[in-house]
Amino acid sequence: MRAGALVLALAACGPAVIAPSATQPLPPHRELAVDTTPKQRPRMMPAEVYLRAYMMWFGGLAPLEVQARARGRQLFDAWDDYLAALGLPDYRIDLPRQTQSNTLMLAAFGRLGEALCVRAVEHDLHDARTPPDQRVVFAFEPIARPSEAQFDERFDVLHRGFLGYPAALAPADRAKRYYALFTQVAAHHPAKPKTPLTGEETAWAAVCAALIQHPETGLY
Amino acid sequence: MRWWLLIVVLLVAPDSRAGRRLPEYRYFRALSIDLTGRPPTRAELAELEQPGFDLDAWIATHLGGAGYAERVRRVYMDLLRLEVGPSFAFVPNPLELRRHEILGPAGPENVYFRRGQRRVDPATDGDFCLTADETGQQFPTNAAPIGTAKPVSQATLDARTVLVKPWWLYADYRAALPSDRVAPDWSKRFPGFAPVPGLLVEPDGKTPTTQVRVCREEAQTTETGAVYASGRAGVKKGEPPPAGRLTQPPGDAGFARTNKGRAVSCLSGTGFQSSVECGCGVGLERCVPGAGFVNEPPAFVLPTHTPLGGDAPFESTPQPAAAWERLWWSEEAKHFLDKILLDDRDFRELLTSRATVVNGPLAQFYRFFAGATCCGASADLGYADPTPLVEPAAIPEALVPEDTATWLAVGDRGPYAAGILTMPIFLTKYGSRRARAHVVYSAFLCRDFVADAVRLAPSSEPDLTKRPGCATCHQTLEPMAAYFTRVMESDWTYLPADKLPMAHPACSKAKGQPGACKTIYDPAFPTTLRGAYASQGNAEAGPAGLAAAIAGSPELAPCVAETIAGSLLGRPLAPEDAAWKAELAKTFVAGGYRMRALVKAIVTSARYRDGNDARRQ
Repeated sequence: MRAGALVLALAACGPAVIAPSATQPLPPHRELAVDTTPKQRPRMMPAEVYLRAYMMWFGGLAPLEVQARARGRQLFDAWDDYLAALGLPDYRIDLPRQTQSNTLMLAAFGRLGEALCVRAVEHDLHDARTPPDQRVVFAFEPIARPSEAQFDERFDVLHRGFLGYPAALAPADRAKRYYALFTQVAAHHPAKPKTPLTGEETAWAAVCAALIQHPETGLY
Repeated sequence: MRWWLLIVVLLVAPDSRAGRRLPEYRYFRALSIDLTGRPPTRAELAELEQPGFDLDAWIATHLGGAGYAERVRRVYMDLLRLEVGPSFAFVPNPLELRRHEILGPAGPENVYFRRGQRRVDPATDGDFCLTADETGQQFPTNAAPIGTAKPVSQATLDARTVLVKPWWLYADYRAALPSDRVAPDWSKRFPGFAPVPGLLVEPDGKTPTTQVRVCREEAQTTETGAVYASGRAGVKKGEPPPAGRLTQPPGDAGFARTNKGRAVSCLSGTGFQSSVECGCGVGLERCVPGAGFVNEPPAFVLPTHTPLGGDAPFESTPQPAAAWERLWWSEEAKHFLDKILLDDRDFRELLTSRATVVNGPLAQFYRFFAGATCCGASADLGYADPTPLVEPAAIPEALVPEDTATWLAVGDRGPYAAGILTMPIFLTKYGSRRARAHVVYSAFLCRDFVADAVRLAPSSEPDLTKRPGCATCHQTLEPMAAYFTRVMESDWTYLPADKLPMAHPACSKAKGQPGACKTIYDPAFPTTLRGAYASQGNAEAGPAGLAAAIAGSPELAPCVAETIAGSLLGRPLAPEDAAWKAELAKTFVAGGYRMRALVKAIVTSARYRDGNDARRQ
């Protein structure tokens, strides 16, 4: 009897039959537009734009004036040696525009960058010969043995000039890595160098050259 | 409490520098690169960071600027590649003034001459105007003189030559007493105009040249000359040249024999070849100089590259006069395109407009040089005085040949003009009728010819619209190419219907046909001009007919939208972009085919703003 009563009691406690309800969409939490447009990696800046930027960074000089200023100590020879390497088309011979980089092009960018930066240091910083408001690349007041914060402030000027945005928006370690470059180059150049630049001037030239060769400078 | 309020205000006020996100900076940099032709300056970034910065206004401002025009022009220059190199050697004898150095009474001096210049004296006809007896030397073509120079008497020089103050030395060469001689300030007045040093100094290398000695026939200024026939008997094969000559004097062409004494234009090649009265005009303005006797002597110091435009040249080197002409042909197309873009005109005018823009060198070309390649064998069919593709009278006379800096609009080049399609740069870059049609088809309709996958079999079918294996493409190409029937290949000489009808009676003769019946007319299709067989209607409509057909095509607007959008996005449009492309084409058409509205629609679109992953961070 006791067993039968237990079975009845368990049956009485079983789940009630619940009829399924119609499905309802979940209420929207927030709406996001799905961007289905094709994307690609940043593309190369047209060679003409690079050249115009280069002239601008050189202080708005004409190509032949840039060439005249950049020459010397084997930094630069003649534009004709670089134009094809930069990817310019030559319509006369149906040579198309280069839309992909190559090693020769990167080497040309490197050489042009070094020429620009060394000459810009000589023009802007060396012997404080150019008033601050007329400095074209290093538009800041240099300071001996800058702290990291002091470096960052000046690095931001270069970063904006070449990459087009504040260094504060760059990956977190970028300024730190460039500061390391600055201190290393400055430390490895003697106090009385044979070259016309001081150790720290050379360090600024190195930072400039590294920045102008940064992939983001030539891409957009 | 006031300090507390200040803190609240500072916390609530937007920090503009911190407020701009990286994608915004990158979008602004892309806009700057595409609309100003350079990355933003630090000052422009500072503007961007100002609280009230209006990006739409910034875009609107820069959509009217030179950087924007150059950016769009580059898209079409990349497609059309409107420059020609040295492979197109433009050295017609009527234009090229070469020179030999002789020993004059006072020492070495240069004497300018034209190869092929007609002279009455059989000893010098078609050759240098001084004989071996007079100079002690013979002057072979393209080679150094032979023999030992002896002084030429003043009487001989006076008889055979004259002194002229030429256009390349004097800007006022048309004045009675020219005095505005080449000077250092010309580099600012006429930038880019730089004759090679050899044209500016005497053979001693230091005495400035103030006038040049020219063979007397070359110095003539008459507009028309009488057709000259020497009456010399034809030269037999192997017959040696007359004593003192290295080559035979020119014989009488059929045109000269049948038209002796008739007036012929000295601006035409026919006039040069068949009249002893045709020269280089006032101040030698119908000719270009060369500092030497070779085929293409150096004439002007020109930049080898001008990727940033003619006002920012790179290295310059001495180049022949042909390079000077080629440079300005190309600049005409660039300036014409820039004008359409900067004035925000209907982009279809690139193909349809009868207007153009010219500077001094181009004005000289159209007024004095363009006829020099006319009319060749067509003269035998009665076409001796060129019907110009560009009316010389439409070209401003105020422009002197060295005035490179002044660009003036030409409202109407003439009834046959059609945008770039009738510009010398287009007609020489794309020498054949088919090449001309193909590039238009490809650049403005975004279509191309793809060969059918058929096995080619030997065929004698001359009609390519029917020949198996060829027909797939040529059914479309041949009628398009026919539009260029009346413009000579690799040239701008127009073949007018009144002189050269579609079927010429002289070419229907069984025997004794003039040579032009095989060069101008097509022996495979005896009743038509070359190139016209697929569509005589298109042939008569001319390049303007093709321009009208392209301008009226529903494929034009989507093609322009696709081309410009693809260039600004840096990628070809994908199938996913089809709806957007259609929308852009609609915008373009609704805006009267004006480029500014199209570019604005592209650069303000999400596709451009978020065009790559870097801009979406």
